[in-house]
Amino acid sequence: MSKGIAENLHPGTAIEKHRRWRGLKDTAYDYGQWCRLWGILLKWALAHPAQNVKAVFRYRWMFSYLTVPSFFDRLCAGQRGAGLRAARNNLNYLASDVTETLTTIFSADLHLHPGSKKAEALNKQIICVDELLPALIGKGFPNCKTILLQEYPMYLPSLINQHSPVHYIGQTELHGLPADVCPLPSFEAGLAIEDDFPKIGCCMLTSNMPCDGSIMTSMLQDRRIGLPTQPLNIPLRWKREEVQEYAVAELLSAIEFLEKYTGEKYDWDALKEACEIWNEQNKAKFEKWELNRTQLPPHTGSSAWLYRIFEHQAVCGEPKALKNDRKVNKLLQKQVAAGICPKTIRHRAVLWNTPCNNYANFNNWLLECWGIDSVCEMIDLHGTELIDTGTHESMLYGIARMYQTSTMRAHTKGGYELMLDGLWEKYDEFNADMVILFDQISCKGVGAISGLFEEGARQRNIRLCTVRQDLMDPTSISRREMRNDVNIFMQTVMNETPLDPSLVTFDDDESW
Amino acid sequence: MKDLKHIRFYESLLEEANNPLVRQAKEEGGVAVGYTCYYVPEPLLNCGRAFSVRLRAPNTGSLDISQYYMSSFICGYTRALFERAFEGGYNFLDFYASSDTCQQMVRVVENIHELKLIDNPRFGYGIIDAPLKVSPHGTRFYTDQIRRQFMEPLARDYGVDVSEEAIRAAVAEHNELCAIFEEMSALRKETIPRITPREFHILSLVSYACPTALLLPYLRETLEDLRSREPDAVDPWRARVIVVGSELDDYAFSEILENCRCYVAADRYCFGSIPGRQPVPLTEDEPALDQVCRFYLETNQCPRFMSQEKVQERRELVARLAKEYRADGIIYEQAKFCDFWGYERTLNTQVLREEYGIPTLGIDREYVVQGSGQLATRIQAFVESLEIKKIREGGNGK
Repeated sequence: MSKGIAENLHPGTAIEKHRRWRGLKDTAYDYGQWCRLWGILLKWALAHPAQNVKAVFRYRWMFSYLTVPSFFDRLCAGQRGAGLRAARNNLNYLASDVTETLTTIFSADLHLHPGSKKAEALNKQIICVDELLPALIGKGFPNCKTILLQEYPMYLPSLINQHSPVHYIGQTELHGLPADVCPLPSFEAGLAIEDDFPKIGCCMLTSNMPCDGSIMTSMLQDRRIGLPTQPLNIPLRWKREEVQEYAVAELLSAIEFLEKYTGEKYDWDALKEACEIWNEQNKAKFEKWELNRTQLPPHTGSSAWLYRIFEHQAVCGEPKALKNDRKVNKLLQKQVAAGICPKTIRHRAVLWNTPCNNYANFNNWLLECWGIDSVCEMIDLHGTELIDTGTHESMLYGIARMYQTSTMRAHTKGGYELMLDGLWEKYDEFNADMVILFDQISCKGVGAISGLFEEGARQRNIRLCTVRQDLMDPTSISRREMRNDVNIFMQTVMNETPLDPSLVTFDDDESW
Repeated sequence: MKDLKHIRFYESLLEEANNPLVRQAKEEGGVAVGYTCYYVPEPLLNCGRAFSVRLRAPNTGSLDISQYYMSSFICGYTRALFERAFEGGYNFLDFYASSDTCQQMVRVVENIHELKLIDNPRFGYGIIDAPLKVSPHGTRFYTDQIRRQFMEPLARDYGVDVSEEAIRAAVAEHNELCAIFEEMSALRKETIPRITPREFHILSLVSYACPTALLLPYLRETLEDLRSREPDAVDPWRARVIVVGSELDDYAFSEILENCRCYVAADRYCFGSIPGRQPVPLTEDEPALDQVCRFYLETNQCPRFMSQEKVQERRELVARLAKEYRADGIIYEQAKFCDFWGYERTLNTQVLREEYGIPTLGIDREYVVQGSGQLATRIQAFVESLEIKKIREGGNGK
């Protein structure tokens, strides 16, 4: 009997004792890309060494970025062939873009450079936006950089290192916020309380994205961040045509606000160009979904949804991202055309509701332990309408629709049917044979229709495995508990044995 | 003080959602419209034959069924509404006017719809999308949503008269109700008030839970009684507070405060009178619907309004009320699992205490508070701290 995967992991930290053998070609490719990642990181670190060291000591969350190589390894665990190549290319693109943005952030950060005229000048060209607000609207200001303020201190660290939110959530709760609120806005509030947001930008666009908790954390953050702020009110019942007029009026009002604080005139041609790139990025995503509907789904796993979120939010309209998409799609198409499927798939699963940040590589575990391939993920299915770039009005209409159907919002807002019936539609569309339903315990909008999922699955005779999680708070529900929910379901309901028994129970509580 | 006129009757009206006045209105051909939120303008639901019932779930016990359908991390109010609907307690409803302003609340009506919980063939519902800041285009949007989601279905499917005249008549009736409440509320400013917190809370609740037209005759008499009522000779109250917070339709909360001899001088919570019991001014030069919607949007005090001017306005209002009603302190109460009030309570207890210098207590509570010893202990401690403060400042404690 071959050695189990978990036997190659250090107990507690789950760090691999040695790199995984994936066959000669794939191991060499994986190693090459791992070295490329180190190249990206070193290039970034050495470009501004003093500034970056200062940032590591100033910001608690910066520590998480030091563990990125291990994070990428976790997201690529068990992948081979085109899936591995897609994952590595997506992740390395992400690394290069994030490091570039971190350089901009730290160069402008008045916490790191108090009183610096250079930093102040740079800040005049930085527009801060809420991290769940796609950066596309900022493309009409080509001389400015639009930065998702919470993306870098909060969202990415919560994925990279499961322990990173704990301190900040603790701070928020110490200030009296109940522990039942979603950890995402709670983490953001903690950053504001700790004054751990970089001090950047000339103004800030907040929003009601995606949920009630996010609305409320903005109130607390505005107070601490202290930038001129305008909330962008994105309608909730987005399926209704009559709400679009308001959505567009809100965008126009936001543009006016940004023009005032940046001193720049809105450039509609630049916006058009970005929208056209975004349309192509979206088409590339449609191609990936088409490939995943086949019997040889090549683009699955955690890196797929992570990249999609990042692309939708931060690098929408970016030519480099589109170049990466096209490269990745070629690789995937080639593999499917050759009829190759370098993984063992027992079940094709739809993963519904928001995935768990503190267990980003959960998909990899599902595949390696039980052969459950995540052919479709709810979190992947947002902002899917193409933008008509014919006129200014049609562009704004398209962007308004994109925002209304943004990350975590396309299904959780707009009526329960979108979340409930959307699941059954995707189940059929992707030829799935089971559903993994995340019970994100602090997500009240989804929790309040949890019974309807169970009833719906029962009526349709769909195997539905509910996995409890708390988005980014491992102290509520640990990775081990999430795995246990699946283990119990697979062993008792499905009556199956694992592909790799060593992965059923192992200790990774101390893992990043 | 002697018992307030009709108080026992009012208490009995709060025993069930489908209370005797609601049944009477239904028997007279009325269209029962349920709602839960200030975002839904109350006078508009009282046009023509329609009458509004702000939904409560009195005598809530076990929430097992709603826990299955809505999980255990959802606010008790919404779960209690679901449970009551499941039990058939809202079968009298013809229409449910809901708003997508709180994700938990909107799921109640969505669950009701999907599970077909209302055993009434006429039952229908509307859900508005509403802005979370005040702007001219936001007001237009809000008005349009109310027209499409409430007024048009009420007229089309139930034959309710929603004409300009009908709206103005409903507003006039609403304003009479508000005038009564304004006078009663002013009595709370007296040195030794002649209305108790429990009584005011009950009156406020019945005014939301009963058809206005049928309740008004009783309220007129109650007001008359209050005008001539003799207050106690000695001030029994140890402290005066303002209660601010989320949905609170259990008057046992006020009883707990009363038992601690803590006087609720003003009620700024959902189901309270501020806002909600202030007359809606109408002019002749603009459609009444537009004016009512604008009034409700601008006076809305929901923490969901996220623009800084509204955030500040909410604090200023509470501070102003504290001054106007001579409150010694503020109690921010939050229904457990309410995200909006969870944040608002956390931040504002600190801001009002530290920046406005007003002693402020933050508490979270279950939907049903009756018999909550823990709550009583916290209130008691707060009252004592207010007394100590008074003594230190040279006043008298009791």
